[in-house]
Amino acid sequence: MNAPLKTADLRASERFQMTAHQDGIAKGETLLAVENVSLSFGGVKAITNISFDIRKGEIRAIIGPNGAGKTSMLNVINGFYHPQEGTITYRGEKRSQMRSTDAARQGIARTFQNIALFKGMSTLDNIMTGRITLQKRNIFWQALWHGPAMKEDLEHREAVEHIIDFLEIQHIRKTPVGRLPYGLQKRVELGRALAAEPALLLLDEPMAGMNLEEKEDMSRFILDVNDQFGTTIALIEHDMGVVMDISDRVVVLDYGRKIGDGPPDEVSQNQDVIDAYLGVSHD
Amino acid sequence: MLYREAGDFKSTYAADQQTFPIRSERMLFWMAMAVAFIAMPLLLGAYPEGSTYWVKAILLPFLVWSMIALGLNILTGYCGQVSLGTGGFMAVGAFACYKLMTAFPDLNIVICIVLSGAVTAGVGVLFGLPSLRIKGFYLAVATLAAQFFLVWMFNKFAWFYNYSASGQITAPERTILGIAVTGPNSAPWATYLLALTLLFAFAWVARNLTRGRIGRSWMAMRDMDIAAEIMGVSPLQAKLSAFAVSSFYIGMGGAMFFSIYLGAAEVTEAFGIDKSFDALFMVIIGGLGSILGAFLGAGFIVLFPIFLTVVMRDGLGWPTATVEHFQIMIVGGLIIFLLIVEPHGLAQLWRLTKEKLRLWPFPY
Repeated sequence: MNAPLKTADLRASERFQMTAHQDGIAKGETLLAVENVSLSFGGVKAITNISFDIRKGEIRAIIGPNGAGKTSMLNVINGFYHPQEGTITYRGEKRSQMRSTDAARQGIARTFQNIALFKGMSTLDNIMTGRITLQKRNIFWQALWHGPAMKEDLEHREAVEHIIDFLEIQHIRKTPVGRLPYGLQKRVELGRALAAEPALLLLDEPMAGMNLEEKEDMSRFILDVNDQFGTTIALIEHDMGVVMDISDRVVVLDYGRKIGDGPPDEVSQNQDVIDAYLGVSHD
Repeated sequence: MLYREAGDFKSTYAADQQTFPIRSERMLFWMAMAVAFIAMPLLLGAYPEGSTYWVKAILLPFLVWSMIALGLNILTGYCGQVSLGTGGFMAVGAFACYKLMTAFPDLNIVICIVLSGAVTAGVGVLFGLPSLRIKGFYLAVATLAAQFFLVWMFNKFAWFYNYSASGQITAPERTILGIAVTGPNSAPWATYLLALTLLFAFAWVARNLTRGRIGRSWMAMRDMDIAAEIMGVSPLQAKLSAFAVSSFYIGMGGAMFFSIYLGAAEVTEAFGIDKSFDALFMVIIGGLGSILGAFLGAGFIVLFPIFLTVVMRDGLGWPTATVEHFQIMIVGGLIIFLLIVEPHGLAQLWRLTKEKLRLWPFPY
């Protein structure tokens, strides 16, 4: 169905370097710091006084039982929720109230727990949408198309093709994503987030509902993204095996509070964490 | 053997992203355009006595409604914002065109029509503002308010119809290269060619807008607005630009409706709520989110009743009143039938047909 394209080169990802959002922060330094953040909805406290940091180039896992405030934390980081208290410092700058579109422009991309793809659009268009903040031509050039707008679109198409090669989804390039199986949809969603060439990639349960093989594939992609593009990743995941294997540092939340923070093996020995997961009463 | 893609390889992304990726499809398209642009006007010019009926009853309504359906499809089909204000926006286009034509007699009619579109785009953005807060049925009700308000306004303030006693607006004669295209003396073939050229140019623009960044931001807004926002699509820009572009097309459609097609119009009669519904039927039956769908929908709603009338009245010799009742019943029934059988519209039927044609006659 898909005609062969010239760049269908399996090692394309090696040639492809993400260029956008290069900042002066060296690997291992703090990229984003959350300090004393509290978030509540009316009387419900979702997050209470949480502080942690994400270092450039690491894979940071956020774990915790259901309702611990993990997704709320991601929503705070990408500007969708506004915490009542506390500060967030991103790339050394203290962030004030911002909209999520601004966070996207500053290089924070994410995937969603329940797949939030654009169902009516093809895989290609979905991933192209990830590059929307990088495209600049205005409506008049777009209306003429032939010329600058087309040139720009084709350049971005090429970058997107690299991502498609990287994620091994060439065969579904033109398929409407609504028709794809769950595992592939998750992969397309990762592709859409990657297309923005993010400095910080937030993954909300990238492996939920997957079988073992799909989980292994996804883990490989996450490690490769981190390794080849140097993308900093913060992920929420329930599969402890995966979390302990792939993450550099883990932060553990329970009832909106932080109960553990550190390397995986250290966290897994922490009594509070074990209690939270086994449901031991706190008194 | 008309529809084959074997051996039709793409070696560039540009070739892969063409509107008609298959060679035979491209040829078919350009042949159809040659017929529409060259053969049809020649034919109409050669038989002036029959051409008036063909142009006034069939070709012009189809072309003008296609323009309007294109506009509504951008808003409803691509950006997912339901609008019931189409009739009102058509009226804005028509009255803007009338005021421009009478205020600047030397202004070319094409410029008048495009400027009317621009005026309507402004009005559309204004009435699009509620879409930033409300969605779905609630937005439909808000746009319904636009419909009634605009029609009321054009009735109420005599300035809009230049204080004419009847409250009607009448298109003065305007010429292009010395040939009258509006007014009572206009040549049918010339009006047809003008409408066709405008439609062709702006259908091309619509295709361009929908395939690039802006089109993707509209569709993203339609499919999953929160995700789109987090990807960096600004809801304000996406929704208001959809309202602006959509109203631009509907305004031009309204201007053409008045100046080229009707020649004279009275706002309540010509731009009532039924026009809003007609346009909505067109985009839903034609196929939401498809340029081709706008044409198919306009064709179906405009041409099918005429076809039925001709068959039943002239073919079967039934009395006109009976024919009219049957026509409404059959068209209504077919709309329901089509929505059940193919909720994605005629454009989807065509897509499925193409899938079948690619494999025909060996489906495995």
